Amino acid sequence: MGLLSILRKLKSAPDQEVRILLLGLDNAGKTTLLKQLASEDISHITPTQGFNIKSVQSQGFKLNVWDIGGQRKIRPYWRNYFENTDVLIYVIDSADRKRFEETGQELAELLDEEKLSGVPVLIFANKQDLLTAAPASEIAEGLNLHTIRDRVWQIQSCSALTGEGVQDGMNWVCKNVNAKKK
Amino acid sequence: MSNSERAKKIMEGFKLNSMILRDGETGKTMWQGAEDLSFPGVEHEARVPKKILKCKSVSREINFASEEEMENFRLEQKVYFKGQCLEEWSFEFGFVMPNSVNTWQSMIEAAPESQMMPANVLTGNVIIETKFYDADLLVSTSRVRLFYV
Repeated sequence: MGLLSILRKLKSAPDQEVRILLLGLDNAGKTTLLKQLASEDISHITPTQGFNIKSVQSQGFKLNVWDIGGQRKIRPYWRNYFENTDVLIYVIDSADRKRFEETGQELAELLDEEKLSGVPVLIFANKQDLLTAAPASEIAEGLNLHTIRDRVWQIQSCSALTGEGVQDGMNWVCKNVNAKKK
Repeated sequence: MSNSERAKKIMEGFKLNSMILRDGETGKTMWQGAEDLSFPGVEHEARVPKKILKCKSVSREINFASEEEMENFRLEQKVYFKGQCLEEWSFEFGFVMPNSVNTWQSMIEAAPESQMMPANVLTGNVIIETKFYDADLLVSTSRVRLFYV
């Protein structure tokens, strides 16, 4: 599963351009996830000090995935990238229990953003390859995901390192790219 | 600050760190250039393995740094063959954070093999030109001539 095959699945989208926004705390694994999608080497990934964009074009269709750095000093800039988002992917380090509260807070603030209102959200419970990782069900409960009513959402456990679960999550994204509630 | 002063500041704080060409299917790096490709007035050269022409898709990655904040950053990329523009892409980034390092990667499907020009015809005749703008202000131009070896 590469970005091109995702794009091919998206071709039913009436919009010719799809914008996916990838957010989450620093060290959640956003860049690794993006690289995994493109089958690239993930052994030397450094903290993102800005953004990484992958754009794929095929027969007039465009898919743009925006991965924005998650460090605290960068987070205030996230809002500059909200416009026209079709799907939000929020990545959580499932083994970083100390920061569950912090990541929950950031997610809650994103879901309150007017520019992101109604935008489908996929939560990746990442780093499931680690023994200490919390299961997706525990994270869903801790973050009160069941209270989300104003949009479609999904939580998917995955390991960006091994690739496990990533495809399932992206399949959900493909199905829900047009599910934005107006 | 006047427009020209702002332009000067943005340009001084802008650096094109690297360009990478990859096989879009395997993600394997085919070529990487680490010299400052934004150094003005110079045509840079890249020696790319000719097997890149067999790739079903190719991804081009640009890594750049900006000290200044930009409101509406955008890029125009053109591929020339013997001075004639064959392909053209534009991309709008919008906002760029101050003191940020960013990458933009675009993946392009190759033309069917029957339409592909052979390496010995292409080599030395292909130029990738990338122009960076903040709104209408030209921040940097990079020209890289490709040799297929």
